[in-house]
Amino acid sequence: MSAVRQSGTGVFSMNGREWSLLVACLLAVVIFSVASPHYANPGNAVTVLRNSVELLLIGLGMTLLLAMGGIDVSIGIVMGLAAIAIGRILGADGSPFVALVAGPLVGALLGCVTAAVVVLGRVPAIVGTLGLLGVYRTAVFALLGGQWLSGLPSSLTDLLATTVLGIPVPALVIALAYLIVWLALRRTPYGLHLLAIGNSEEKARLSGIPLIKVRFMTFVISGVLTGIAATFYVATYRNVEMSIGSTSALDAIAAVILGGTSILGGRCSLLGTVLGVLLLRILQNGLLLIGVPSLWQPVVTGVLIIGVLGFEAASNRLPLTRFQRARA
Amino acid sequence: MTAPFLVARNIAKRFGALTALADVDLEIRPGEVLALLGDNGAGKSTFIKVLAGAHPPSDGELLIEGKAVAFASPKDAAASGIATIFQELALSENLSIAENVFLGRELKRSIFGIPFLKRAEMRQRVDSLLQELDAHISDPEAPVGSLSGGQRQAVAICRALNLNARLVIMDEPTAALAVAETRKVLALTRRLAGRGCAVVLISHNISEVFEVADRIVVFRRGRKVAERLAAETNHEEVVSLITGAHPDVRALEKTN
Ligand SMILES: Nc1ncnc2c1ncn2[C@@H]1O[C@H](COP(=O)(O)OP(=O)(O)O)[C@@H](O)[C@H]1O
Ligand SMILES: [Mg+2]
Repeated sequence: MSAVRQSGTGVFSMNGREWSLLVACLLAVVIFSVASPHYANPGNAVTVLRNSVELLLIGLGMTLLLAMGGIDVSIGIVMGLAAIAIGRILGADGSPFVALVAGPLVGALLGCVTAAVVVLGRVPAIVGTLGLLGVYRTAVFALLGGQWLSGLPSSLTDLLATTVLGIPVPALVIALAYLIVWLALRRTPYGLHLLAIGNSEEKARLSGIPLIKVRFMTFVISGVLTGIAATFYVATYRNVEMSIGSTSALDAIAAVILGGTSILGGRCSLLGTVLGVLLLRILQNGLLLIGVPSLWQPVVTGVLIIGVLGFEAASNRLPLTRFQRARA
Repeated sequence: MTAPFLVARNIAKRFGALTALADVDLEIRPGEVLALLGDNGAGKSTFIKVLAGAHPPSDGELLIEGKAVAFASPKDAAASGIATIFQELALSENLSIAENVFLGRELKRSIFGIPFLKRAEMRQRVDSLLQELDAHISDPEAPVGSLSGGQRQAVAICRALNLNARLVIMDEPTAALAVAETRKVLALTRRLAGRGCAVVLISHNISEVFEVADRIVVFRRGRKVAERLAAETNHEEVVSLITGAHPDVRALEKTN
């Protein structure tokens, strides 16, 4: 029989793409270590991981969106708006616990707005979120009044820059978020429905899947994850600048695609996204340390996206291998 | 004669200015294989999409066991016992056989209010369905994208059986199949009727239709132009009904 058992459906099982990404990460580290004397030290490793926190959270949501055949190019500015809400609360000497709730809450609300436009309004996701990007960007300008929120009190930072059982809080939150998203994707009807919609919306409809509910939920989940990202952003930097989140959507989409999630939907890899984020951040950090100006970072990201998609289009893969890799 | 499971009365479907179906009356009985025949564009697929709840009819009514029903979605039709195997098989190639069989009607258990899939139970159920159908598929975990056309039909039939369907509708299930696979699918069709299911089968292959059908209905240009018991007609008559050369069809088309 031509039926072949799908490889790896466990939380940590890895497919070919994921192994290649891991090797690419290690290779990049080796090359940068040779190229720059400042590269290989524990402090820099912490910097790279620290820089990955927000993108990991946003990337998990973006993985779900792309797997569903959706996208959200406004996600960085959503993080910005959530960060402003958190900053305002902290700036008014509000409780850090209120600030902790504000991020996910604003994220969820903005996720509802996006879903209202894209899902209920039936505006294609790429166009709908591009429109929202314009609106939100102006909202950020208006809310900040042309100035940074800066010198925020350290109450939230004190709360989150701690460790539990020796593990930093951001790492714990990311691990928990990963586990929850993985379970939702691989162990609940929601995940099946999401992948079916990503494969073909019409077939999903004919199968009797609650399309609107699943798509709406996914935008809200992505919003919540982005709100949590905003919380870590404010806790770390204690300021909110005008350009906050301007490269997040590009970075997130690049990382997710690098990780093996299909831009056309129906196939995704959460582990791939994590490795994609790490590779992206390792490259950005390493290039900076060998003297490439940070202005060039989006160029690297853009070239990576085009490269991966071009490579996938060019390599004429057999359908079977495509579907074997669909689940890991 | 058994009471009909489903009665369609004066069904019409318009897509803008185009009338895809007009005035279709039909009765579908349990345990009977009814074949829908007709040229391309005759309205066969549109008609079964109305039965399946995928298109609301522009006119007319559907009765199930004597009661009027209105389907807002394929889910409604499924709840009334109608399972449809669409021409463009509504299977998700990226999901496994077991997942496809249960898609939209998963078995789940609630843990802290969150529904989790009962994966082992779904796999077992699909395993036994596949054996019951003698489908020669060994692994319910295989992605549907890796299956042959006949195997995909078997998965779609499994899905219909699993929904406890009272009426199974199949749109050209053998169109893309090799001879051996066609045989298997036809045997499956008879087995479904043997279990007391009503079966509606669309096909272009007239000999195949005579092999499995109890009753034959011919569509032409969106209208039902003839209904015959398979035992009381023959290949030539059916062909002339489809092409419109038959005197009955000519008479009908003159009056319209
Ligand atoms: N969704 C649709 N929108 C517009 N026209 C349609 C649609 N579906 C079918 N039609 C038209 O309705 C007519 C009947 O089509 P169909 O039911 O697919 O025929 P058959 O299955 O008998 O070949 C055709 O003219 C077709 O183009
Ligand atoms: Mg058709």
